[in-house]
Amino acid sequence: MTQQAASASRGLAAVFSPLRSAGLADQVVERIEQAVETGLLVSGQRLPSEVELAAALGVSPVTAREALSSLRARGLITTTRGRNGGSFVAEDFLPSTKGALEQLRALTRLQINDLGLHYSIITVACAGIAARRADATELAILRTYLRPAQDTLLSWRLVDSEFLLELAAIARSARLGRELVRLQADLGTLTLLPYTDEAFREASVGMRTAVADAIEARDSALAETTTKELVHALIHWLLDEHSR
Amino acid sequence: MAAEQIEVPAPVRQVQSLITGIEGTLEKWAQDLGRDLSGMRGIVPGAAIDGLVQPAVKGLLAKDSPELAGAGFIANSGLVGPDRSYIAWWQGPQLERVDALANFSPSSMERYLKAEWFRIPVESGIPHATGPYIDFLCTDDYVVTFTHPVRREGSAEVAGIVGTDVAVRTLEQNLIRGLRQLGPAVSLVSAEGRVVVSSALSLEPGDLISLDDAAVSYPVGRRFAIWGATED
Repeated sequence: MTQQAASASRGLAAVFSPLRSAGLADQVVERIEQAVETGLLVSGQRLPSEVELAAALGVSPVTAREALSSLRARGLITTTRGRNGGSFVAEDFLPSTKGALEQLRALTRLQINDLGLHYSIITVACAGIAARRADATELAILRTYLRPAQDTLLSWRLVDSEFLLELAAIARSARLGRELVRLQADLGTLTLLPYTDEAFREASVGMRTAVADAIEARDSALAETTTKELVHALIHWLLDEHSR
Repeated sequence: MAAEQIEVPAPVRQVQSLITGIEGTLEKWAQDLGRDLSGMRGIVPGAAIDGLVQPAVKGLLAKDSPELAGAGFIANSGLVGPDRSYIAWWQGPQLERVDALANFSPSSMERYLKAEWFRIPVESGIPHATGPYIDFLCTDDYVVTFTHPVRREGSAEVAGIVGTDVAVRTLEQNLIRGLRQLGPAVSLVSAEGRVVVSSALSLEPGDLISLDDAAVSYPVGRRFAIWGATED
């Protein structure tokens, strides 16, 4: 009886906790940042006007304006006035290792470990199911993410996240997939850092290849172990850097 | 005994009619939109496409049997500009616009060419069904996507595709009862042999299976089939 009351009260605490305001402008900022980082929007390109952006994303022009001014403050876009004016994606914008290092320093070891645990649980589960469900086309797609076509930091990071997303796509669990997308957003630019290390880059190709091989062999247990190694290597690199 | 010689059981016909219903709706929409686009010469502005597509999507998503998760049109290169695509796609009861930033992207064409539901109908000129798969581009949901090429009247070129997403859970809600009536191990499968809905507890949507020699197969729509023993 008392046991039940205790477990119920824990749930109630969550029910009555204050609601955060939606932060619609922040979501618009995130979307645009993500679009630039993944190459959907490119440096120098003109962005839609406040009104166009608002209409496209289904937010009010005030929210769009707020988002654009926040992007401007971060240096992601520049705005010029006059007849050929407008907002443009900044020429030199790239997620920087400096920003990523700041993000890493702001975290505690505990937080990095906890994030790593979550990341590992989700990706390992996806890999296990993916080994049962992958077809030849999907395997071919997975193998395109072993090594990037260009040797840039951003391409390495993209390959890193796309490879794991492809595992989730092959596994076909909507819940795990959404969780992975959210986790990668939480990790932010952190995953950029290990790829500044030449040795890590090459090691990661080997580890991704091992995962793809296990999935091709339809070996769930091996796919799980090799995926765990891949994620652990990334988190371990970050912990190592953090302790310096 | 060959499947053609057996009379098609009623539950099979129900599954067939649901899938061919969706395919028929898209075929008609593709014709209507093709005719509307023929009236516009040269480059068609995005706003004009929205004006043609959105009311149709609104009508489609308002229908509740089967419930459609989303629908829309994606332009092939050439319609709104050289090497450019354009997406006019909405989802959910709130008619939420999907992938809107891609319309401002110089690489949107490349984005959609990676997707089976766009590439195949554009390249082959033949209607297609993709999945079941997790749609990370739009809904983040587990869906089957039906797509149909759109051509302007008197033109062989594919101007774009119309399509609709049906959630796998919607297909289960509508079809599981009929599959159970057919037997304990009867599945609706894709052309790749991937389970969409199955009466077998051991089979989940997404699992790959192969057709047993002794089993019966009924075609369902253009790209699906019902596999399994009909006797219980």
